[in-house]
Amino acid sequence: MSLNLTYNNVNKYFNKGTASEVHALKEVSFTIKPGELFCLLGPSGCGKTTLLRSTAGLESISDGKILYGDTDMTTIPPYRRNIGMVFQSFALYPHMNIFENVAYGLRVRKISENIVKKKVTDVMELVGLTEELKRNPSPMGLSGGQQQRVAIARALVYDPDILLLDEPLANLDAKLRRYMRAEIRRIQKATNITTIFVTHDQEEAMAIGDRLAVLQLGAVKQIGSADELYSHPESAFVSNFIGKMNFFKVDRKNKNTVKLNKTNIEFAINPEKDHSEGAETLLLGARPEQITISSKKSDKSIQGKVGIIQHLGQFVRYEVKVDSTFSDNNLEIDMPFMVKDALEGDTVFIDLKEDLVSLYADGEISNE
Amino acid sequence: MNKNIFSKISDKWREITTPNFDNPELRKKKDFSRFIVYIIPAAFLCIFLFYPLFTTLIRAFMSASKGKYDFSTLGFAGFTKLFKSGMFIKSLRNSFVVSISVTFLTILIGVPMGYFVARVDIPGKKMIKSLGLLPIIMPAFIGAFSWIILLGNQGSLRLLLSKIGIGVPSIYGISGIIFVMTMVYYPFVFLLAEGAFGSANAQLEDSAMLMGASRGRILRTITLPLIVPSIGAAALLVFIRSIGNFGIPSILGKDQYVLPTLIYFKINGFWDLNGASSIALVNVSITAIVLYLQKKIISRHDYETVSAARTEIKQSDNKVVKIIATVFCWLVLIISLLPQITIIVMSFFTEWTGPLPTGFTFGNYSMIHSNSSREFFNSIYLSVVATILAAVLGSLIAYVTGRIKPKGGAILDMAIMAPFILPGTVVSVALISSFGTLIGGTYTIIIISFIIRRTPYVYRSVSASLTQMNPSLEEASTIAGGNWFYTFKKVTVPIILPGIISGSLLTFTTLLQELSTTILLYSAKTRTVPVQIYGAVVDGALGQASALSVILLIIVFILVYVSNNSNKANISAGLKLS
Repeated sequence: MSLNLTYNNVNKYFNKGTASEVHALKEVSFTIKPGELFCLLGPSGCGKTTLLRSTAGLESISDGKILYGDTDMTTIPPYRRNIGMVFQSFALYPHMNIFENVAYGLRVRKISENIVKKKVTDVMELVGLTEELKRNPSPMGLSGGQQQRVAIARALVYDPDILLLDEPLANLDAKLRRYMRAEIRRIQKATNITTIFVTHDQEEAMAIGDRLAVLQLGAVKQIGSADELYSHPESAFVSNFIGKMNFFKVDRKNKNTVKLNKTNIEFAINPEKDHSEGAETLLLGARPEQITISSKKSDKSIQGKVGIIQHLGQFVRYEVKVDSTFSDNNLEIDMPFMVKDALEGDTVFIDLKEDLVSLYADGEISNE
Repeated sequence: MNKNIFSKISDKWREITTPNFDNPELRKKKDFSRFIVYIIPAAFLCIFLFYPLFTTLIRAFMSASKGKYDFSTLGFAGFTKLFKSGMFIKSLRNSFVVSISVTFLTILIGVPMGYFVARVDIPGKKMIKSLGLLPIIMPAFIGAFSWIILLGNQGSLRLLLSKIGIGVPSIYGISGIIFVMTMVYYPFVFLLAEGAFGSANAQLEDSAMLMGASRGRILRTITLPLIVPSIGAAALLVFIRSIGNFGIPSILGKDQYVLPTLIYFKINGFWDLNGASSIALVNVSITAIVLYLQKKIISRHDYETVSAARTEIKQSDNKVVKIIATVFCWLVLIISLLPQITIIVMSFFTEWTGPLPTGFTFGNYSMIHSNSSREFFNSIYLSVVATILAAVLGSLIAYVTGRIKPKGGAILDMAIMAPFILPGTVVSVALISSFGTLIGGTYTIIIISFIIRRTPYVYRSVSASLTQMNPSLEEASTIAGGNWFYTFKKVTVPIILPGIISGSLLTFTTLLQELSTTILLYSAKTRTVPVQIYGAVVDGALGQASALSVILLIIVFILVYVSNNSNKANISAGLKLS
């Protein structure tokens, strides 16, 4: 039986009242549904690990409540919360063999020996380490991927209410990481334990999570499925953190129209894609595939110069520099084919797919 | 009835220590067990360290004669008298001359030797490193008296050398003290320098070479600057040891005193606790100032070397360099190990005043059973008890400062390390002034002095293990349901156990040879082997002293061999100051 995990106006300050005070979590409120695989995503220092450790009870929160069902977890010490956690370093015990590592939580609970054996065997089968369990070596002799599986088995074996994963893939190499994230999703779906997965890698989060929460500077910016976040980002930060977004400086002309900075080029904005919320300085956002390149000028095109061109298989990526009155950064434009007369160093004209672009308030944009 | 009480208690204990995931009341209960660990070390430090040091500080400003504890005589009169006393000024100067010269000489010998062993392809490297450890694990005063046999007024080596026309000054006096101390303490510099040269990031030097720097330039501009902190730490260690050493100057000094021997003289000769406290304060102040200066200088040269992959350091195989390095290392080793060889030979003879020893005998050994049984019992009993207590205390404090990190943890850290820089005689003076009337002459006062002196070894060793241990290991246990005590028992202690063991072994071996503290605290009942050896040397019974020393050396050697083989890295962690 699983219950909702609810964060209620959670605040966390480090070094409160001193000069080095940090407001690490700001009014965090959301609910994770039973059996959900939920990702906390954000750049380093955004508070995602603090939120995870607060859920575990390893950090105490300054203000607010964390509820499991109707039970307030805030004052319960971590060892009575019945939570499983996989650490970034795996934290396997070097002085125990892998059986004892996995059995640790069962031993704490004074479970009888034959049940311990059965549960450890079952969970090791689930994570695919049946052969290794027969040899039962020290965890230090295992490969990174195997250590990862032992750490997951150890966290799952005592049927925790919630499973926490703190950047569990960060210590693995790129190929193994892709394989293990599929494994983690398979294991999570097999056990159906409510799971929180912390990562700074948006591709990983989108691949693995049922839902994602994007955090920035301690505040939750947006929560939704990978598709919702990619297709309907509600802030400039999220739009450029989940995928790539090119930004253009624009001024508002009227309710549904904006003008490119210091020009008369006008763009109509779909009201559903207007996330500016009445802000003064505005940014027009267009994803790389929402811009086209041409060697010919049209009435709404912006002039630019091609930087480097990368052939990436299914598309060609152009880096284009436009005047800084229009955009501070080089534009990234994906075309399905090579454009004629647009070689590196050439002058080109770009056009926006007007019906797809979005409008945002100027804010802090992640460059990761 | 009794059984019922016990089972009730154990039920209660189980209730406290096992998590209950169903009982909502119990789920909210706080875990106080970890706060208990604060109290033990804090109480011990207050009673046996702070209070005695405070008493000594007060006494230092009392000028009442015969060491009376009299507040009406508080003032600077004692110090004025002290700084007018020619004997004190001379001792102070001697202490400075000895410790500064020894520090420079050990650097002069230790740094090149460390470089040769780490960077030149010479034969028998492992052997050089193991043998290099010997002089510091052997009692320093044994070195002193065996050098008397070799280079004393009638010293065999001295006579031999004079026959072939080389005049060597007698070992007695300041230059002899400096020579013997240098030979005893150079391994600190050698081992730390070797470690630093050996673990330096080779890529830094490779990159300098690719930019066109010559070997000499790389050594001068890259290699040496990067190991300055290690050398500084070693130099500090040598300085502290040599300014606090009692055995060597008391045996070789004759009428030349240094501060620790002057303290002994004041107490043993006149029972002048106030005067001794004043000298002790001067002695400690010098050490504290040097420690402060060292920290200040080193902090400017402390670099974090950032590197992901370590590459093997290339070893020089230039023939000339190889020959110089080999000769240098083995020459230093042989000279520094001559005392050990000498006392083994001496222990089988009655006399050795000419070129060769005379009067072959096993008598020195057969006497031990009847003459030294009590001393051996005392030495082992005192060291075992003190080691166990120091291990518990040192581990607890290391855990508190390293893991719980309370406010004021830095003070606890400083307090526990303070005895590391206190000369043994000063610790004794502090204990006598505070508890002399209560427990003077008992086993207890010696055990307390031992604990105070050597807890830093366990503390450092365990701290090192704790810093290497990722806190998430403990957090993983907490998450899995283990409360503080369960986690401590099942995860923390097993992982830091090697640190505890190697720290304890180091403690035990140094306690077996402890002289500077015991010499002021022992009574007829509590006399230890080192004290007896010291007495025998003073009486001129060198054969008996040698036999006892050989037995001591064998015990110490076995223990160090065992601990070195089980855990090499941590012995040096225990020796480090910071």
